[in-house]
Amino acid sequence: MGRRRRRVDPAAGALPEAIAALSRSLPSGPSPEIFRRAKFDRPEATPALWQLLFRVLAPLPLDNALASLAPEVQARLVKSALRSQGYPRLALAQLPEDGSQGSRELLLALSWLLARGPVPEQMLAQTRVPLGDEMTVCQCEALASPGPPAPQVRAEEPVDVRHVQWLMGKLRFRWRQLVSSQQEQCSLLSKIHQYTRGCHGDQSLGHLSVAEAEMLRDPEGGQVSGVGTPRNLDLAYPKGLHFSCTPGMGPRTFWKDLWLVCEQPCLLLACSLLSPLRALLRTLECENRRLEAVLAWRRTELVFWRWMDTVLDTCAPGAPAATSQGTFLPRIPEHRGGELELVAWELRALQEELQEAAERRRAAWEAEAGGCGRGPEWSAVRRASREAVETELGALRRRWEQDRDPAQPHGPRRLVRREDGAAGDRDLRAAEVIRTLRSQEVCLEAVLRQLQGQCRQELARLAGALPGLIWILPPGR
Amino acid sequence: MLPRDCSRRLVTELQGALDACAERQLQLEQSLRVCRRLLQAWEPTGTRASEPPPGPETNEEDPPPACTPSPQDLKELECLTQALEKAARVRRGITKAGETDKAPSLKSRSTVDPPGTIAFAPPRTPGRAGGHASDTRPTKGPCQTTVSAKGHSERQLLSLGNKTRVGTGAWAPRPGPGLRDQQMAPSAAPQAPKAFTLKEKGHLLQLPAAFRKVASQNASLWAQLSSMQTSDSTDAAAAKTQFLQNMQTASGKPQPRLSAEEVEAETGRLWKACSLLRLRMREELSAAPTDWMQEYRCLLTLEGLQAMVGQCLHRLQELRAAVAEQPPRPCPVGRPPRASPSCGGGVDPAWSSQLLVYSSTQELQTLAALRLRVAILDQQIHLEKVLLEEEVGGQQGTWGRGARRRTRG
Repeated sequence: MGRRRRRVDPAAGALPEAIAALSRSLPSGPSPEIFRRAKFDRPEATPALWQLLFRVLAPLPLDNALASLAPEVQARLVKSALRSQGYPRLALAQLPEDGSQGSRELLLALSWLLARGPVPEQMLAQTRVPLGDEMTVCQCEALASPGPPAPQVRAEEPVDVRHVQWLMGKLRFRWRQLVSSQQEQCSLLSKIHQYTRGCHGDQSLGHLSVAEAEMLRDPEGGQVSGVGTPRNLDLAYPKGLHFSCTPGMGPRTFWKDLWLVCEQPCLLLACSLLSPLRALLRTLECENRRLEAVLAWRRTELVFWRWMDTVLDTCAPGAPAATSQGTFLPRIPEHRGGELELVAWELRALQEELQEAAERRRAAWEAEAGGCGRGPEWSAVRRASREAVETELGALRRRWEQDRDPAQPHGPRRLVRREDGAAGDRDLRAAEVIRTLRSQEVCLEAVLRQLQGQCRQELARLAGALPGLIWILPPGR
Repeated sequence: MLPRDCSRRLVTELQGALDACAERQLQLEQSLRVCRRLLQAWEPTGTRASEPPPGPETNEEDPPPACTPSPQDLKELECLTQALEKAARVRRGITKAGETDKAPSLKSRSTVDPPGTIAFAPPRTPGRAGGHASDTRPTKGPCQTTVSAKGHSERQLLSLGNKTRVGTGAWAPRPGPGLRDQQMAPSAAPQAPKAFTLKEKGHLLQLPAAFRKVASQNASLWAQLSSMQTSDSTDAAAAKTQFLQNMQTASGKPQPRLSAEEVEAETGRLWKACSLLRLRMREELSAAPTDWMQEYRCLLTLEGLQAMVGQCLHRLQELRAAVAEQPPRPCPVGRPPRASPSCGGGVDPAWSSQLLVYSSTQELQTLAALRLRVAILDQQIHLEKVLLEEEVGGQQGTWGRGARRRTRG
C-alpha cells in the first residue's frame, strides 16, 4: 500500500487536483475534503455523499417533490436505484439510512457509477441551456409520460370497455391536435429563421434561433406573462428546464426553492431577481465553468482511479452473507416478467411460421433441383450464396444487438436553415433523417399491424372460450 | 367486460399516454405563442434601452426596484432616443408622401402628434407600457448626436440597455388616456410604417456582445468535450475496467448478475429482433424468385432466420432464469422514462455541437411530422403490447405449449 502511495507521489498534486475537478464538475459536488474523509470512513462525510448519489441517480426532472424528500427516503431510493443497476456490493444495502456511517461504501458506489458511464457529462447534458431551436432525431422521450403514474388503487370495479374506447378516442384526437400544432410551429420557426438570416455572429449558424430572437425582443423580460414561463422553446423540451418554482409560502419553502434555483440558475427567471438576459448569461457562465471542470477531470482522472484502488483495498475483505436485503419501498405489484413472456410468445409464433415456410421451401427445392446440382461449379455457387446470406443476416443481427444506431447519434440537435442545404460532416441533413424516419415508420407500422392482428385473434379466442357471448369488434383498425 | 386487472393496467397506460400528449401540446402551444409574438410587430414600449417598467397590463408584476442608472447613461439614452425620434419623423414624412393607405392611421397619429407619442420604430423595448414613455424626450434638451442609420442606433441602444437599469420613476409618463386611444385605434392596421417586424428588419438584429462571447465560449467547450470523448484515453479506460473488476471480486460474486435494467434492455432488444426478423421473413416470402439461385438464397435466408430465432429464444430462457432468481424489485419513485424500442437508452453528450440542417419549410414540416408519427406509433405499439400481454397472460399456465391454434397472420 505504501509502495503504491509512493508511486503516486511524484504527481502529488495531481490527486487533489483531480478530486477538485470532479467535485466542481458534479452538481452539488462535495468538497475534496469529503472525499478524503470518506476514504477513512469518517461519519461526517456520509450525508454529503448520500445527497450526491441521490442527485446523480434521481430521475429528472428534479422537481420540488423529489428535492424535498427526507434524507432517509433519499437514501432508500439511492439503494434501490443502485440495486436495479446491478451494484455488486451488498454492504451498501446494509448501511443505515440516517447518514451516520458508511462514507467509504458510498465513495465506492460513486466511483462505481463514474467508472460505468460518463456521469459528469451526462449530468451536464441534462441541465444544459439550449440556445438554439432543437429537435431530437431519435425517439427517446418524444412522447414520454411525465412523472409517476398516480397510483390509483381504485375500488375493485370492472372497467367498461366503452370507457377504454372513449379514452382511446380521446388519445387519437390529441394526436391529431399535436400534428396540426406542430405543423404550424414548424412554419413559424422556418419564417423566423429566414427573416433573421445573417444576424448571428457564428457563421456556421447563420441565423437566430427563437430563444435568441426572443432575448433581443425582450431582454428584460417585461412581457413575460407569468412567473415560471419557460423561455427556451424547442421541439424537444429540455428536461433540465422543467422547473416548477412555487413561490415560497414561508421561510422553509423559500430556502428549498432557493436550493433548486442555485442548482439551476435559469430558475432565477422565475424569482425575478435578475433580468432574463442576465440570468441567462449567468447560467451560461456556470455551465462554462462546469465544462472546464469536466475537461480537467478527464485529463487527470487516471490518478483518481489508482487512488480508488487503494480505497478498495482498505475495505474489509470477505463477502458478507447474502442476508436480508434491507427494507425497500413497498412493492407495487408490477408487471414483472410480463413483457418477457410476451416476447417469448411472439418469438415462438415466429419460429413456427418460419419452420413451416422453411420446410416447405426446402422440400420444393429438393424436389426441383435436388437431383442435379452436385457438381463442383454448383457447390461453388452454393457456397457463395451461403456466404452472402450469412453476411446479410449478420448485418441484420447487428441492427438489434447494438443499442444505438451509430449513424444517428442521440440527443437534440440545433436546427439550422440553409437554402443550399450544405452541411458539415458531423451535421445531419434533414433529407437523410426523413429517409431514416420513413423506414422506421414502415417497420413500426408492420409491427403494429402484426400486434393488432394478434390481439384480435386472442380476443376471438377468449370469446370462443366463453360460451354464449357475442363480440362485435369495431370496424377497421 | 375485460378482466379486472387487465383493464386497470390498460387504463393506467392510456392515461399515461394522454398525459404525455397533453404535456407535449402545452409545450407546443407555449412555443407557438412566443413565435407568433416574435413575428408580429414588436411592441414599442418606450426606448429599448430602458428596463421594462412593467406596463399597466402586467399587473401581477411588482415594479422593479428603482436602481437608478448613472446620469451619464441617462443622458446618452435620451440623446439617442431623440435622434431616433427625429429619424422616425423624417421617415414618416417620406412614407406619408408615398403611401396613401396608411393615411388614416397617420392622420390619427398626427392629431395626437403634438404630445409626440408616435410609436416610433423600430423600438425594441420590452414591456407593454405603450407609447407613453416615449414622449418624454422632447422635453429634454436637443441632442447633438447624429445617427447615420437606424440600425446602428438600435445596436447602440441595445448594448446600452444591457448596462443600464432605469426605474419607472426616471421617466415622467404623459397622461395615459389619449395615448391609450391612439394605441387602440390603429390596432387593426400595422402600428406604424416603422413598426419593427422581423420580416423587414430581422437581418438588422444583433446579439449583445456579452452574450456572444459567453455563447461562443460555451460552444467551443462543448466541442472540446465531444472531441475528447471520441478520443478517450485508453489508460483511463483500462483503469476503470480494472476498478470495476476489483469491485466485483471484492463483493464475492465471480459473475456479475444481470441487473434489472439490463434485463429490460435485453428484452427491448429481443423485441426489436423479433420485429426485424418478422419483417425480413415477410420480405422473403413475398418475393417471387425468378431463378433457382434466388430460390436457393431465399431458402437459406429462411433457414438462417429460423436459426436466429432459436438463438433469441435461448437467450430469452437465460433472461427468464435471471429474472426468476432476483428478489422482488422495489418500486422506484416516479416512473423512469420508458426507453423507446426504436432507440437505445442513455444520453450521449457528444451531440451538442452538431446541427440538423434543413433547407425549406416543407422539409422541416415533413421531418417534424414523421418524427411525431414514429412517436405515436411507438405509443400505439406499447398499448397494444399491454393489451396483448394482459389477454395472453390471462390465459394462465403453459405459454404456447398448449394446443393453441395459430392462424397465419
